[in-house]
Amino acid sequence: MDGLLRNDPTVIRSLYAVHYSAVRQYVLKNSGTADDAQDVFQDAVTVLWMQVKEGRFNTNAEPDPGGFLFRVAKFKWLDVVRSAAHRNMRVLHNENSVPHVLEGDHDIEERILRLREVYGKLDDKCRQVLDQFYFERKDLASIAADMGVEEESIRTIKYRCMMKLRAFRRTIGGEERKAK
Amino acid sequence: MSEAALHKDRFEAIEAFLLGTMSPEARYRFEQELTADVALREEVELQRENTLAVELAGITRTLQAARGEHRGAGPASGGGNWTTYLKYAAMVAVLVLGAVWWSTRPTENERLFAEYYVEDPGLPVPMSAVNDPVFQDAMVAYKLGDFAEARTKWGNLLQADPGNDTLRFYIANAYVAEGDAKAAIPLFQAVADAPSSAFHDKARWYLVLAYLHEGRLNELPDTILENDPVYGERVRAIRSRIHS
Repeated sequence: MDGLLRNDPTVIRSLYAVHYSAVRQYVLKNSGTADDAQDVFQDAVTVLWMQVKEGRFNTNAEPDPGGFLFRVAKFKWLDVVRSAAHRNMRVLHNENSVPHVLEGDHDIEERILRLREVYGKLDDKCRQVLDQFYFERKDLASIAADMGVEEESIRTIKYRCMMKLRAFRRTIGGEERKAK
Repeated sequence: MSEAALHKDRFEAIEAFLLGTMSPEARYRFEQELTADVALREEVELQRENTLAVELAGITRTLQAARGEHRGAGPASGGGNWTTYLKYAAMVAVLVLGAVWWSTRPTENERLFAEYYVEDPGLPVPMSAVNDPVFQDAMVAYKLGDFAEARTKWGNLLQADPGNDTLRFYIANAYVAEGDAKAAIPLFQAVADAPSSAFHDKARWYLVLAYLHEGRLNELPDTILENDPVYGERVRAIRSRIHS
C-alpha cells in the first residue's frame, strides 16, 4: 500500500498484472467485452487508490488488495448490467447473493468526478508543473532544470496554479452554499 | 474557508504538512495551531483536495498506460482484397503527403530561424516581488506560454513608461514566440539602438532572428554582431548558409 501512497507506477502495473485477469474473466462471462473489463478494473483501482490515500483501506482486514479490487469491479459491472442499456444481458452469477461491500461507493464516485472537474480547470503549463511536483514528487530544482527555467519561477508558478484551484473551489463552495 | 488570498508562506506550510516534509518541531507547532484554528483546518482540507485532484489525474494517466500494455492483440486482419486496398490507399496517401510537403515546405530562412531561435527564458519571478506585481504577473504568463496575456499586461505598462527597454524587449519576445516577428522588429530595434541597455546584445541577436524570419536579413548591416563573442559566430554561420 505504500507504493500506492507514493503513486508508484510500478505498483499500478503490478496490480494490473496480478489481478486484472480475474476481473476480465468475470466480465467476459457476464456479457461484457475486454474493454468493459478494462473500464471497471480501472475504476476499481482508482477507488482502491482513493481509499488508501485517505487512510480508509484496512490492510489488517484485507491484506490482499485483489479481493477488494474484484468486489469493486464486480459491483461496477453489475451496475452497468442493471442499467437500461444492458437490460437484455444475461448474468450468470446471482448478484443478490453477494453482500454490497462498498458503503459510500457512490460518494467516492462523486468525489472522483469532482476532483477531475477541478483538475480540468488547469491549463497545460500548470498541469506540467503540478503533475511533476505533486504526482511524480520531483523537487523544484529538477522540474526547473527540465523546463529550462529558474527554481524560484517554478515555485511561483506552482503557487499561482494552486491558487487558481483554490479560487475555483471557493466558487463551487459559494454556489453550493447558495443552493442550500 | 477565508475569502482572502492565501499568503504564499501559509500555502507552503500547509503543503509541507500535507506532503510530510515538515520538521518534527514545525509539524508539532502546526498541529497545535490546527486544533485551535478552524479556518486553517478548512484551508488544509481544501489544499488536500486540490493536491488529490492532481494526483488522481496522474493515477488515471498511469492506469491508461497500463491498460495499453494489457490490451490483447486485435482481431486478425481481413482477407487479401482488403490488404490490397490498404496498400493502394497507403501509396496514394504517401503521394498526397509528398505533394503537400513540397508545396508547404519551409524556406531556408524558416529552417535557419527554427534552428537558431530559442525562446528567451524570461526573468526570474521571485515570490517576494511586490514592487511591480503587474510586471511579474506578465512574466509568469510569459513563462507559462500565455504570450498574448503577457504582451497585454506589459503593453499597458509600456504606455506609462514608453522608454522602458525591459518592457520593449519582452513584448518583442512575446511577439516572436507567437510567430509575429514583424511586430517585434521595431521593439527590438529600439533596444538594439540603446547601447546602455542591459538587453542591448540580446536585442541585436533577436533582431537578426526576426529579420531572418521575415526573409529580410539583407536589410541589416553586415557588421551587426560580427565581432560579438557570444553571437558573432552564429550570425556569420547564418549569413554564410544564406549566401551559399
